[in-house]
Amino acid sequence: MKSGLDNEIFNPADVIAHATPDVLANNLPPELLSKVLQASLAAGSMTPERVLETITPEILAAHIPHEILWACIAAAAARAGVTNSVVP
Amino acid sequence: MGVHRGSGSPGRGDQLGGPVNVKAFFVDALGGALELGVGTPDDVLRHVTPDILATHLPRPLWARLFTACLGAPKVDAQLVIETLGIANLCEHVPAAIIWACIAEMGARSLGLAYTAPPPPVVLTRASLSPGSAPTRPTPPPMTSVLAPPPSAEPAASEGKPAVNEPLADLITELEADDRPITPTRARTPTAQRFRQSNTGIGRLGASNQPRRPMASASPPAPTTSKPRRTGTEVEEAETEGAGEWKSREIAVDDSQLVDWQAAETTQASDDDFGDIGRKR
Repeated sequence: MKSGLDNEIFNPADVIAHATPDVLANNLPPELLSKVLQASLAAGSMTPERVLETITPEILAAHIPHEILWACIAAAAARAGVTNSVVP
Repeated sequence: MGVHRGSGSPGRGDQLGGPVNVKAFFVDALGGALELGVGTPDDVLRHVTPDILATHLPRPLWARLFTACLGAPKVDAQLVIETLGIANLCEHVPAAIIWACIAEMGARSLGLAYTAPPPPVVLTRASLSPGSAPTRPTPPPMTSVLAPPPSAEPAASEGKPAVNEPLADLITELEADDRPITPTRARTPTAQRFRQSNTGIGRLGASNQPRRPMASASPPAPTTSKPRRTGTEVEEAETEGAGEWKSREIAVDDSQLVDWQAAETTQASDDDFGDIGRKR
């Protein structure tokens, strides 16, 4: 996930498209939910970039189910033409 | 968190001990305050912090909040309150926090100084970890919470009968040392009944000390005018005074003397029924 974001294989919006608010709300610990809301209230907006500033790839890998993260990576690979498989 | 007490329909909190519906009151009060401008969403979020929301709000509401925040151009307290809803806040957030919010709004609208309650205990995973310090504030010393123990002296003086007899006063003084040990509530109804009779018998019976003997009283002085005696009294008087008047020498006139020889014969003839036939 970190490499895909650093190398712009996918962007934060792609991550949030898989790691939806429902997925985040159901898998992140309460202190991280509070942290995301606090950061958004302090900044005045909640964007995928700001969410991923708080929910780092390490945190995503620790709390979000891996099949969801892998779906994000596989979809990005499909968009880049690396693979012929179609990722839902 | 249901706060209905006892059985019955909600909304009848005017009766003492009856069922109350605090949450409905909170929804009305908080919603009315926000609607009328008495309070603002920022006031609410100052008490219902993101940490409080993260602890008490269910995950579906968090998903709704994230969805709304990600789709909104501006994220502020109003968006949070409108997305979550007053009813959901009052349903899931502890009542003490909601009440603190309402109390601050009310005090401010009345121009009163609002004193914030002690911070609530927030149990998070970080606080539950072994190395972290607890978030519970240090409780005050117990001496400031507990009421002072009741003094035993008023209870003892309350049941003390007003007696004037010296003996009763002496017994009262002797019992005064044991009064604090004996609890007032441990008195038996019998002892209390005797106390109310104002005779002091109950205190004698309830006391651990042995009863004082009554032989210390001086014998009554002989009186010339004796009251009318009953048969029982005659026997007691003769029995008790027999040793005294037998040893006493009394001057007797000769005319008062009795021929004991004849009297014994008469008495013996009266008592010995075996000689009746022989004498006849």
